[in-house]
Amino acid sequence: MIKILAIAWKDLRSTFRNVPALVMMLVAPLALAALLGFAFGGGGGFDIAATKVVVANLDKGGAEAGQSAGAAIQSILSSKDLKDVLETSTKSSAAAARQAVDDGEAAVAVIVPEDFSAVVYGSDPTATSQVELYENPTSEIGGSIVEGVVGQVLADFNGARAAAAGAVALRSDAAGDPAAAQVAGTAAEQFTHAGGVSAGLQISQRSPQAGATEKEVSVTGAILSGMMIFFMFFGAANVARTILTEDRDGTMPRLFTTPTRHGVIIAGKFVSVFVTVLVQAIVLLIAGRLMFSIQWGRLDAVVLLTVVAAGVAGGLALLVISFAKTPAQAGAIGSGVYLILALLGGNFTGTAQTSGVYGIVQKFTPNGWLIEGWDTTMRGGGALDIRWQLLVPLGFAVAFFLFAVLKMRRRFA
Amino acid sequence: MSIVEVKELRKQYDPPKGVLAVDGVSFGIEQGEIFSLLGPNGAGKSTTISMLSCLLKPTGGDATVAGHSVVSDPQAVKETIGVVPQDIALYPDMSARENLVFWGRMYGLSGDELKRRVDEVLELITLVDRQKDRVDKFSGGMKRRVNIGVALLHKPKVLYLDEPTVGIDPQSRRSILDGILALRDQGMTILYTTHYMAEAQELSDRIAIVDHGKMIAVGTHEELVKIVGEGARVSARVDHYLEGMAERWREVKGVEKVEIEEDEAVLLTEDPNEVLPRLFEAAATAGSRITEINVTEPNLEMVFLHLTGRALRE
Repeated sequence: MIKILAIAWKDLRSTFRNVPALVMMLVAPLALAALLGFAFGGGGGFDIAATKVVVANLDKGGAEAGQSAGAAIQSILSSKDLKDVLETSTKSSAAAARQAVDDGEAAVAVIVPEDFSAVVYGSDPTATSQVELYENPTSEIGGSIVEGVVGQVLADFNGARAAAAGAVALRSDAAGDPAAAQVAGTAAEQFTHAGGVSAGLQISQRSPQAGATEKEVSVTGAILSGMMIFFMFFGAANVARTILTEDRDGTMPRLFTTPTRHGVIIAGKFVSVFVTVLVQAIVLLIAGRLMFSIQWGRLDAVVLLTVVAAGVAGGLALLVISFAKTPAQAGAIGSGVYLILALLGGNFTGTAQTSGVYGIVQKFTPNGWLIEGWDTTMRGGGALDIRWQLLVPLGFAVAFFLFAVLKMRRRFA
Repeated sequence: MSIVEVKELRKQYDPPKGVLAVDGVSFGIEQGEIFSLLGPNGAGKSTTISMLSCLLKPTGGDATVAGHSVVSDPQAVKETIGVVPQDIALYPDMSARENLVFWGRMYGLSGDELKRRVDEVLELITLVDRQKDRVDKFSGGMKRRVNIGVALLHKPKVLYLDEPTVGIDPQSRRSILDGILALRDQGMTILYTTHYMAEAQELSDRIAIVDHGKMIAVGTHEELVKIVGEGARVSARVDHYLEGMAERWREVKGVEKVEIEEDEAVLLTEDPNEVLPRLFEAAATAGSRITEINVTEPNLEMVFLHLTGRALRE
């Protein structure tokens, strides 16, 4: 044990005397997190500037008084629920609305045609009408939001029209049955009236894993957790690379001539790697709290996540080293592996995109699980809530370490 | 029984077609002896030491150090030996003292014993005043001394020194050679490798000459030079009529053979001290004056040349 600690202490002393390595381990992740945090609006949540929308409602209304599907669209776009993301104004004509976009006054123009209500409330199920979205191509986010909202409204209208058509058909078929004809008639009446349709319209906002009692994750916190894991990989690699440096410089072969077993030497190296990244993580967590007021979450979860992340970084670093022959080769292989893992695991995107194929791919990386764990922890989750986000990366760490030890024992036999 | 016994030791890299670096070497080293492996670069000296240090596994044969086999009991062998590698193997960003403390721990020392041994070794390598300086600030000779000091920390029974004087100034070399002789006088057994003939001749109780992985001769310096079968070589130049002078020198008592090589006469003799005055006397009688004369005692270079047909430095 004394020998393991002696080897670890010797490496730690060298590492913490190495100024460029310290900059890479501590300053770079903080600087990147600060930079990206400010770029995305700093502390609380992803603040996206409200998209300016102009609505030209040319709709002349339905056959009956009060029927105006165009007004329904306008009302939803101006609703309170969307005021943080859409700033809506009106124009009297389609040309004026388009001109507002051309002049940069608005990002998107929504033009409701004259026959819109006539088609929505009309009895002809094959009739069509098109709402025009005229948008500035550079405003991708704003355009997508408006497109989503309007598309949702139109989908509801189309659903109502289909239901009404069905009810009308049913009423015709049930002509011989007065009771059935009465029910179908009432349904058709309701579906073909604006009140019945607009009352069912709703905008649903998706918020990943966010319940009413969950805390909001700060942008800087989300970024720094990803950066921390990413740079922990590099921090671990710096120390693990000393195995190859020592092999090249002759101190490793000399260690093998002393009565010190190979397993003890490798264990000493792992301890130094593990402690280095643990110190790195602790410094970054404290700096994140002091500099960016990041609420990392409950202590039990934070401690366990940090320890597991250090284990993953250490195991992975040793695994990479076991495949390389020279320190330069280790640097090249390591950088590639860490970058690919970071891209696949979501170190640069956080949990903003965890659905679909990308979400599945993230599950194949230890950092993907760790990032998810940090997200849950920052939302107030405890150790039990992130048990899988701890156990799976721990499994990765153990597998990496065992494979690395096997490979190194063969190499230095 | 010898403290180091080497029997048919063999090392082939990437068998069966790889380089045969050591080819069935056998020798023994007695307690308190300096035993040198002398040979050109690539002869197999370092590979032999690596196998005796348990760094490389032999592909054939075995060796014992203090009764422990390098093949079956390497851990016990490592507790017995101190190894000074050919290249400096220290941590340059650590001080001399920090290096010695670290390596002492690797040899199993701790506490007061470690501190005492580090102090003693610092005295021995005369670096007490510079003990807190980083090794990368040291001269080549000082680094060599620390490199040797590391191997002495645990008082090994056998010390391996693999070309420890390569690339250092004459003063440091002298200091290291004197230190090695002092260690021998204290009873330490030393296995020394070198390609410097003079070092081997000065230090060694016995010398093994190796070439192409094979041991081609072993013995004391005197035993080895006898292999050449010649006495001393005296080469002389005269101011005129070299051929006539050579004829007269053939008649001188104690001269075994005389040949003309370019502009000088080369004579072989068993006892140059007796012969030299006679050569001058003969020249004076013939009216010639000797302008230059050199005496070359038989040496290991001549032994290597005699045995391999090549100079040691080729």
